[in-house]
Amino acid sequence: DIFIESLLNFDSEYIWNKGSSRWSQCRKRGADGVVRGSQKEAELTNNTDRKGNRPHRPNSFTTPESEGPVSRIRDWGDEVEFDEMRTNVRRDMQRYRRRILAGEFTQRERKTSSDSKDSRDSPAPGEFETDESVLMRRQKQINYGKNTLAYDRYIKEVPKHLRQPGVHPRTPNKFKKYSRRSWDQQIKLWKVKLHAWDPPTEEGNDLQAIDLGEIMELDFDMEASVDELQYPKTSSSVSSSLPQVSCLNVKILESVDLWICILL
Amino acid sequence: MSVCAGVPLPKPCVLKRMEDSSKEDYKIHSFDMETQKLLKTALKDPGSVDLEKVSSVIVDQSLKDQMFSKEAGRICFTIVQAESKQNGGSVFRRNLLNRLQQEFKAREETRKRSTQEWVCLVSFICNIFDYLKVNNMPMMALVHPVYDCLFRLAQPDALKNEEEVDCLVLQLHRIGEQLEKMNLQRMDELFCLLRDGFLLQDGLSSLGRLLLLEILEFRAGSWMLSETAQKYYYSEVTD
Repeated sequence: DIFIESLLNFDSEYIWNKGSSRWSQCRKRGADGVVRGSQKEAELTNNTDRKGNRPHRPNSFTTPESEGPVSRIRDWGDEVEFDEMRTNVRRDMQRYRRRILAGEFTQRERKTSSDSKDSRDSPAPGEFETDESVLMRRQKQINYGKNTLAYDRYIKEVPKHLRQPGVHPRTPNKFKKYSRRSWDQQIKLWKVKLHAWDPPTEEGNDLQAIDLGEIMELDFDMEASVDELQYPKTSSSVSSSLPQVSCLNVKILESVDLWICILL
Repeated sequence: MSVCAGVPLPKPCVLKRMEDSSKEDYKIHSFDMETQKLLKTALKDPGSVDLEKVSSVIVDQSLKDQMFSKEAGRICFTIVQAESKQNGGSVFRRNLLNRLQQEFKAREETRKRSTQEWVCLVSFICNIFDYLKVNNMPMMALVHPVYDCLFRLAQPDALKNEEEVDCLVLQLHRIGEQLEKMNLQRMDELFCLLRDGFLLQDGLSSLGRLLLLEILEFRAGSWMLSETAQKYYYSEVTD
């Protein structure tokens, strides 16, 4: 258990890129310091983002006077980016509300809409994510994924009406209610799927094209042969509930076997 | 019927502002040829140039060139749009804003050093506020800085300078209405200062007073001048 704990700590440094590493630290441990298991996933609501037991200061906060989340301003460039993202999110929310009220979300769409393992949708109108700080964090993650050559090539190659569920990556819906963990997993999987549209490799560029964080999140089953050699699976539940185990794996593999991971 | 006992009123500088700038003209003639080329490339293919340099060049010129400082917003907006369309980036905008913020922080020293540079800075910041809209809305981040500049111009020592009064009323004509929507309270406070300045300030030139009176009427008329006021301020007085 100490070993698992240290892996989980390891996880917080390696798995979550783009500055979200500290989030996972508080996700994995409750206020009493006890490591959370996957059964307690339901407790990990989006509100943990704003709880006070975080080790670092929030990027945004809401005061009674402010209209919504106020960013911790560093400079005008950041402030304007933040405002832009916020107005975009608000506009998206208006649109989404209208679409729900217009009854655009049919049963069929609800079934196919989740690429993730998590199937907890909120079909009832009015039950969608409205917390701006959550929406903005999710939007930022989506933006990272969309701001890639792979995504550009994907949308050019496959117009929306030709997309097949399961085959073609689909952007996670930021308005649906998901736990933090579930959402982050959806994003990772989505980004991994998008890599299928990476530009053709030249001069070993593909090493840079792959984000290490994503490799570590790859479904363990794909790497079965490799990790059985390096790190025996203790149980089948390990693969999906403790993705960080693969990070240790990759560290070992790094020197020699990274290529294999990428190819898988 | 003459307006003021036969003495013709000085024509306010405001008259010059009523011209429309042509659509294609970014007013970059004051740059040297190499820089003009850089700017033109930035407009067409922003990803291919050093956008930090471009923003730097634009800010530098705005502080020196009065005419450009009043019009630079347009070229900036076009570059921002072009970059966003080309690769979804906002490198130019970020660099521009952060450099602008530096200049803003140093505004008091700039004012001491050169009134002209200070006035250019204010014009430029306001022009950026006017043109660089985000999702069709003015940038929140600039509202208070713009007000800070205008408040500075409304101080007694600044009201004595025609150059600064002229700058102040120009900005209010261009962006006053938008600013007021973003923050009514500060606009009210600003106009209290302007009223006081008009009534009580010693050392104001008659042109200075004219400019202040016009802007007071302008705002009182919901950012529009009545026909009679328009005639009063902008027509040549004939005996």
